[in-house]
Amino acid sequence: MDLRTHYDVLGVEPAASPEQLDRAYRFCLDLYGEGSLATYSLLDPEEMREARTRVEQAYCVLRDPAKRRVYDEEQGFQRAPQIPTSPADPASGAVLLTEPVTGAALRRFREQKGIGLREISLRSKVGVRYLEYIEQERHALLPPPVYLRGFLQEYASALGLEPRRTADAYMALLPPAQA
Amino acid sequence: MTAVAPLPDPPPRRQIWSLGGGKGGIGKSLLTASLGWQLARMGKRVVLVDADLGGANLHTCLGLPAPALTMGDFIRRRVETIEEVAQETGCPGLRLISGASDVLSAANIKHQQKVRVLNRIRALDVDIVLIDLGAGTSFNILDFFLISDVGMLAVVPEPTSIENSYRFIKSALYRRLRELAQTQDVRDIVESALDQKNPWGIRTPLDLLGVVEREAPGQSDALKEAIASFHPRFVVNQARGPADIAIGHQLVTACMRHLGIRATYAGFIDYDDTVWQCVRQRRLFMSAFPHCRAAEKVSKLARALLQNDGLALPR
Repeated sequence: MDLRTHYDVLGVEPAASPEQLDRAYRFCLDLYGEGSLATYSLLDPEEMREARTRVEQAYCVLRDPAKRRVYDEEQGFQRAPQIPTSPADPASGAVLLTEPVTGAALRRFREQKGIGLREISLRSKVGVRYLEYIEQERHALLPPPVYLRGFLQEYASALGLEPRRTADAYMALLPPAQA
Repeated sequence: MTAVAPLPDPPPRRQIWSLGGGKGGIGKSLLTASLGWQLARMGKRVVLVDADLGGANLHTCLGLPAPALTMGDFIRRRVETIEEVAQETGCPGLRLISGASDVLSAANIKHQQKVRVLNRIRALDVDIVLIDLGAGTSFNILDFFLISDVGMLAVVPEPTSIENSYRFIKSALYRRLRELAQTQDVRDIVESALDQKNPWGIRTPLDLLGVVEREAPGQSDALKEAIASFHPRFVVNQARGPADIAIGHQLVTACMRHLGIRATYAGFIDYDDTVWQCVRQRRLFMSAFPHCRAAEKVSKLARALLQNDGLALPR
């Protein structure tokens, strides 16, 4: 397979978030690591070393925002515009969305971070189904406000958003019956 | 105006699934039995076929005594139809065609007999035919694998099992490519490819394609198409933790990058003490302990396979 770009080497899209790059890097280290069950019988030691070197080179460039920008320009990759946030809590590094906190905005922010709903569900113990309802704004299926607020706060903190104010902002946009 | 009678709905297509993997003793038969049991519980009409013609013991996995009639009776024409050797298993919707018990003649069935068996299996009136392929990469086993709509490879997280599964994949693919070769030259290239010291330096299907492109350019498109439509599915058995589970994803990536084969990761089954305790008691864990970890993963696997779905690497 022709692994032309650094993104190909790590097996990610050019729009990959830093979190996705980290995950892909760890995956490739395991794939080509000493004693990897999946590759030792396919590649000889020299090819394994080469594969590891390419992974390191790719990660070195892509994890550094400045180097990545230069590389993307050279290769003609365009980055998707980042969803704007403002810092909310200097202690935890949590941020706030500067656009209205709708289900769609939350989903875009989550996808930009490269975090799956399953992962949030595992961290927050909120079922994937409810997380989907939150993102899809399926008002009739959302739980009563007292639970919904808790779910939203868990969801927000899993994404590095300030939990309380994010939950308030989402609930303020709900039709009166739910809020 | 002539009224046009609506066409009747075509009958739902029967699917052939098979489970191989090259190495013996990694739980293929037990996995086949469990998967068949689960599919039947989900309302599918299933026939299990024990194609481990030399060492058939799928019946034992299901907790059944050695059957009176086996595939061998059908092969030797002691019975008329293959339906006659399909015995009930006690689980509604699940029947079993047991492998032949006398080793030599059945494991080495002749080409004509094999074609008859394959044709009759294709004609069975069920939803899913699930074939336990047994160990090895003999032509009989590969042919059963190649006629399958869903070809699964069981692996355990051990070097020997993974080596054998790669060998199985290559053997099956090269057998298909050999059938497609139009000239003796290309047949020779394909046949030599499995030999590590072949004169062409071919190590992977991608290398093979390169050689054919150079030597017989007119034939490479058909081979390319066959490689592109070859989709083995991995099932990781006896997974003891996240690192074992991740091996399935690594195998899929390694197949794509280094063999040029698009495999999928159908699912994994946890290592579970309950399973071997049941094996010793000749009981199927799916019915004895339907909520044990392994049983839950088997039902997840069945659902994924029915939906033609696989485990995706978290991105």
